[in-house]
Amino acid sequence: MSKKVENIVEFANELRWQIGDELHDHLTESIYADAAKIASASVSTENSKKSFRLDAKIDKIVTSKIWGFPIMFLVLALVLWITIIGANYPSSMLATLLLDNVHPILKSFAASIGMPWWLDGFLIDGVYLALAWVIAVMLPPMAIFFPLFTMLEDFGYLPRVAFNMDYLFKKTGAHGKQALTMSMGFGCNAAGVVATRIIDSPRERLIAIITNNFSLCNGRWPTQILIATIFIGAVVPSSLSGFASVSAVISIAILGIGFMFLSSWLLTKTVLKGEVSTFNLELPPYRPPRIWKTIYTSLIDRTLIVLWRAMVFAVPAGAIIWLISNIYIGDESIAAWIINSLDGFGLILGLNGVILLAYIVAIPANEIVIPTILMLTVMVTGISGGEGAGVMFELDSVNETATILRAGGWTLLTAVNVMLFSLLHNPCSTTIYTIYKETKSVKWTVIASLLPLIMGFVVTFLVAQIWRVF
Amino acid sequence: MSYNPIIMLILFFVFLAIFLILFRPVKGYYWILKNSLKQNKKIVIEDILKQLYHCEISDKEVGIEFLSGVLKSKDTNILEAVKEMEAKDLISTQGNSIKLNTSGREYALKIIRVHRLWEKYLAEKTGYDKKEWHDRAELMEHKLDEKATNILASELGNPMFDPHGDPIPTQTGEIVELGGVTLSSLKRYDIGKIIHIEDEPDVIYRQILAENIHIGSYIRVIENNSKRVVFYAEGEEFILAPIVAANVTVLTIDNEEEIDKDLVRLSSLKENETGEIISISKESRGEARRRLLDLGFVKGSKVSLDLTGPMNNPRGYHIKGTTIALRNEQAIHILIKKSSQNGKV
Repeated sequence: MSKKVENIVEFANELRWQIGDELHDHLTESIYADAAKIASASVSTENSKKSFRLDAKIDKIVTSKIWGFPIMFLVLALVLWITIIGANYPSSMLATLLLDNVHPILKSFAASIGMPWWLDGFLIDGVYLALAWVIAVMLPPMAIFFPLFTMLEDFGYLPRVAFNMDYLFKKTGAHGKQALTMSMGFGCNAAGVVATRIIDSPRERLIAIITNNFSLCNGRWPTQILIATIFIGAVVPSSLSGFASVSAVISIAILGIGFMFLSSWLLTKTVLKGEVSTFNLELPPYRPPRIWKTIYTSLIDRTLIVLWRAMVFAVPAGAIIWLISNIYIGDESIAAWIINSLDGFGLILGLNGVILLAYIVAIPANEIVIPTILMLTVMVTGISGGEGAGVMFELDSVNETATILRAGGWTLLTAVNVMLFSLLHNPCSTTIYTIYKETKSVKWTVIASLLPLIMGFVVTFLVAQIWRVF
Repeated sequence: MSYNPIIMLILFFVFLAIFLILFRPVKGYYWILKNSLKQNKKIVIEDILKQLYHCEISDKEVGIEFLSGVLKSKDTNILEAVKEMEAKDLISTQGNSIKLNTSGREYALKIIRVHRLWEKYLAEKTGYDKKEWHDRAELMEHKLDEKATNILASELGNPMFDPHGDPIPTQTGEIVELGGVTLSSLKRYDIGKIIHIEDEPDVIYRQILAENIHIGSYIRVIENNSKRVVFYAEGEEFILAPIVAANVTVLTIDNEEEIDKDLVRLSSLKENETGEIISISKESRGEARRRLLDLGFVKGSKVSLDLTGPMNNPRGYHIKGTTIALRNEQAIHILIKKSSQNGKV
């Protein structure tokens, strides 16, 4: 019996040697030959010469040596501009509704049913406020950015961007399509990470996932703009202040792209060495975008899913922020204790304890970093302002915000380093969770979370030391 | 301690330097130390056996000095290893010359089998660069036992040749003759097929890689003298120094009919030209090759250049009714026949 099995195995091995290593080639060839035969027998084609020529014409322009890159940057800048400017109005409306109107109503309702102060604070000032904040700041930009982006995708322009950019990305071991996931990251890193599914080569996909956080996301643009307006705009003559602060923010975004390339290269040379890498890119024909379908799917698939995840994480964050500011150990709140112990390390980095604590508790969403910093600063310095311990707030007036921050000991160095740290720190918990979902690997999730944080520490440290030397 | 930014900066760079010195990829002291701790007697013996086998093939006399020169190990270590190998009847010595015994040859073939199988594995299943295959296989050949080797072999479909074209010894220790002659020994107008590219020494191998010379391509020698070897392959002209050409093995072909003279690389296709795909080079392997096939880059497909892009790399090729962008590094692996100089798309 076993002799027979042995014979069969031997025979099989022999046959394998005869077939050679081109079996897969022959299989694919015959599949294509069959498919071509079936197709020619059963499909009749309309004469589509005309649309093909139009396609070729568009392609010649958008991938040309002269126009390829300018068109690309113009489109990206336009999309970002529409998002940032356009989101202002609905955002402030939502903020007025949820923060200025619903919040007091909830407070007075709680008072009328005699809710104890700690429960009222925990639920309404902690949980509700964080939730409301995330919705107000996050929803409008995403609801504008994603449909715009999806429409470009639907039209067929985005694959051409990947085509144009591939040469640059290849130098760092990445895929041209990373240009798309990176741009998507400007809207939301979690969505950018999901978007890496379009990259089918395993190594390049991991690179795109891990480096997506270097795209300055919607949650961080407002922080950058606010700080740049207050501190960078103030060092130049007032006629130039607008220009200076805008350039500062853009430089940070470009710096992010630089760090994206740098860490892509580092990853290719170290931890991702040996992962399988392939390349191919299909350039589909152009077609008119289906506007309503696009809006519907991008709202459901991208905006709402991301928003839901952010909300899920915002609830515990709000609770924690309120708790650490209201639970006392000895005669100091937990927040004050943490701030004191972080202050030394923070000052070496050119930051301070308040900022570090804000970044720790605001892991769920970058949107609540500034409100948390303001609340903690008021609490620690004891100056007047704000709404009380554990209640996040933001001020309509840039000047008042500046006064509070300066009272908290902020200098130009602090501002520059906060802008840098806002770019280079761990991704928000929504993104971390998404990275885990996409990679199914603790190792890559940890690397993706810690790599930017370490870079942030190093960069702010170096900037602070060099600043102080001169 | 009072805070001083300059001291902090100095501290930072000192730590950074120490970290880099220790953990720099490959050359960091941590890795070197880790590897050298594993440099035990078994590895020295196996390396000696391999050297002896290679020298036996090329009829070279081997002494202790030669071994210590090649293996970069201390003379005393090698002497000790040689003594032990003699005791185990792996080798026999006559005066200064060392010869393999039958059992030693079998042992050497086992090591070579692991080495070449592992190179094949790296080529087919991982993304490591060609330049790294050899060094990684050098480490692996001492680690894999026979059972694991056989599993590896059957996973890879019991391949006959490694990615450099070297035959892989079978489980029972049989090995195919490679045959062929070195490229440097060919005469003008000789034709042949490249069957093997030697991956040692590293310096020469890198030069061959830089030239994009592929195993499996048909060549025609145009010039061969003491200064240079010039040959045509796949529509391109290659110029090598004789010392480099000596590391390329060619199977000569007498009958000119057997080779396809019009075969060129897809990368040479120009706008408004059409080609028909003839084959994909052996140098495109594993997942990358399968992907090309799946996209329709199969024998007989018509292909034309559609888009060149701002960087001229990648380029978009029109194939099977759609446009697919390929990088130039991929396009050199696809062999086509140009159908007409000004054909219609």
